[in-house]
Amino acid sequence: MTIACPNCKSKNVPGTIFCSECGAQLLQSDTLVTQNISTAQVHEALASRQNHPQVSPPVEATAWASLHLIDTGQMLPLTDRNEFTLGRISEGQPIMPDIDLSAYQAYAGGVSRLHAVLKRVGTRIVIMDLGTANGTYLNGKRLNPNVEQNINHGDIISLGKLKIQILLKN
Amino acid sequence: MPQQQENYYDILGVLRDASQEDIKRAYIQSAQHLHPDKNTVAGETELFLEVQQAYEVLSNPKRRAKYDATLPKEVDAPSIIQHEALVSRPTLVRLREAQVIYLHLEIAPRAQSAQIPAPPLNVCLVLDHSTSMKGDKLDVVKSATIQIMKSLRAQDILSVVAFSDKAEIVIPSTLHLDRNKMETLIHLLQPFGATEIYHGLETGIAEIRKNTGPSRVNHLILLTDGHTYGDELASLQLAESAAAQGIGMSCMGIGNDWNDIFLDAIASRTGGNCAYIAKPKDIQRLLLDKFKSLVNIFADDVILDFKPQPGVRVNYVFRLTPDGGPVTIEDSIHLGPILQDTPLTVLFEFLVEPSAVQNESVTLLDGSLRPSITARPNPIPPIRLRITRDVKADAASEPPPGKILSSLSRLTLYRMQERARVESQQGNYDAAAKHLQNLATHLLSQGERHLASTVLFEAENIKKIHTLSEEGSKQIKYGTRALLMAGSKEKVK
Repeated sequence: MTIACPNCKSKNVPGTIFCSECGAQLLQSDTLVTQNISTAQVHEALASRQNHPQVSPPVEATAWASLHLIDTGQMLPLTDRNEFTLGRISEGQPIMPDIDLSAYQAYAGGVSRLHAVLKRVGTRIVIMDLGTANGTYLNGKRLNPNVEQNINHGDIISLGKLKIQILLKN
Repeated sequence: MPQQQENYYDILGVLRDASQEDIKRAYIQSAQHLHPDKNTVAGETELFLEVQQAYEVLSNPKRRAKYDATLPKEVDAPSIIQHEALVSRPTLVRLREAQVIYLHLEIAPRAQSAQIPAPPLNVCLVLDHSTSMKGDKLDVVKSATIQIMKSLRAQDILSVVAFSDKAEIVIPSTLHLDRNKMETLIHLLQPFGATEIYHGLETGIAEIRKNTGPSRVNHLILLTDGHTYGDELASLQLAESAAAQGIGMSCMGIGNDWNDIFLDAIASRTGGNCAYIAKPKDIQRLLLDKFKSLVNIFADDVILDFKPQPGVRVNYVFRLTPDGGPVTIEDSIHLGPILQDTPLTVLFEFLVEPSAVQNESVTLLDGSLRPSITARPNPIPPIRLRITRDVKADAASEPPPGKILSSLSRLTLYRMQERARVESQQGNYDAAAKHLQNLATHLLSQGERHLASTVLFEAENIKKIHTLSEEGSKQIKYGTRALLMAGSKEKVK
């Protein structure tokens, strides 16, 4: 009956309300006061995934996956290619990520110019951090740089503070 | 309807089912300040005689039983304070492992009784004038002291003790002061010697004792910028004995080279608080604020007496308002003051062992609240506080009360900081750095960029050189504590 933190997966004594490891709220948070906790949105997303998977925004027909930007609610479908770099374009620098996140407060969120790469390898989807300053997190856990990590439908990745939910087609 | 006469239990300020020990303790406490050799206010000798008579009857089991038979049935007389206890869960769950449950306790004056006049002060400022205070710090402390002297009302008493490796009385505790002369004496303070806090506290408390009375707010304020060596234990014992006599203690640490854990421990034993003054220019403002809250006092301290319950441990106690700070857990917990305009709010964390949830219901807390209200010479009857929860097979789905949630969300940040600090002391550097990083994430999301960058800087330091800087750890500790208070103020508005 220990409570596993939805953010960092550490175990908490039953009855605990905020994770003693990472400070995230351990309850479903629809009706609760959560305004000060940034991770609340993650939990909501996680909670809705666990309880009503059908309410996830629909994945575009031709895309093999979509990025759901949690803070702003937008969806970015991934089509055609099997590999996408994520980052932000900054003026006067010749770095061009495949997906530019500047429009989604990437700078304030601490997204690097070349932050991470998302790949489709056969049936697996993997994410890899490109050695960034603020790191890439998978469901709250920081990834080792330059190591591929499998991801599943509904997982939340954070580039710095920018949270993105991965919605796979199947 | 005629005023109901106070019975012997009310006179001593104990509950009807008080044990002989409770009665004796209450008697000694009242006698200490009401005794004809000590009392100063007209009418207190008569009160002393009543206390004496009450004790003679109640301390004798036979006479007590006879007396009890004459008493009308106990009715809950409306107390002049009211309290609200919120618990995080409506029920406990029958588990094979320990579980936690939170209690949010708010104690406030009852509306009509808030109109009592502000009580006179009996305050001693204990000032560190060791060599390290040289320059800005001592200059600002001096001018702040003079400022406060000028702002006092005629009925207030302010004494000043200066200490380094020895202590001297700069201004004695008396009502009759030549304020101009005192100002000169303050100006003459020179930096000298090392910091030995015990001497300062001892002399300061002796000054306060000259004029302690239940009708005054008796308080010591320590201002220091240094570590003390070897006299910590004696200082803590002194704080405990001061608290037992109704003397509160608050501490202000200037700069980064003072022992915040030690000063917090002193203050929390008396229900007082401890403040961090980063820069000398803040000394005056914080000191004036402290006096403002002392003048605004409704009850100097609320003491929670409780009996330990089998299988239930009080794990953590933190005062949210006024002046947030940790609370030392003892059999009698000094929760802190109630201000006229700010209730006392305290958050408790209980750890319930599996052995306790084998029963149908669990008593989390069984005790009483004893407020000492300055404006009333007689002790007010304690308020019984009994928190029980039924045990169910399954967890209730009800969300915790909003007050618990919002205060815990902030307290969690403070505790992460505490935890990181302990871990770094134990040499567990990775864990400490990780907790600081988590803390920084939360701070950033709340827009506390400055504090967050301090936290991240310290996290890096721990990783690289395995130390937490004195400056950073204080900024983080008092920064997260200030967030707690800012949050509770918003709530009041």
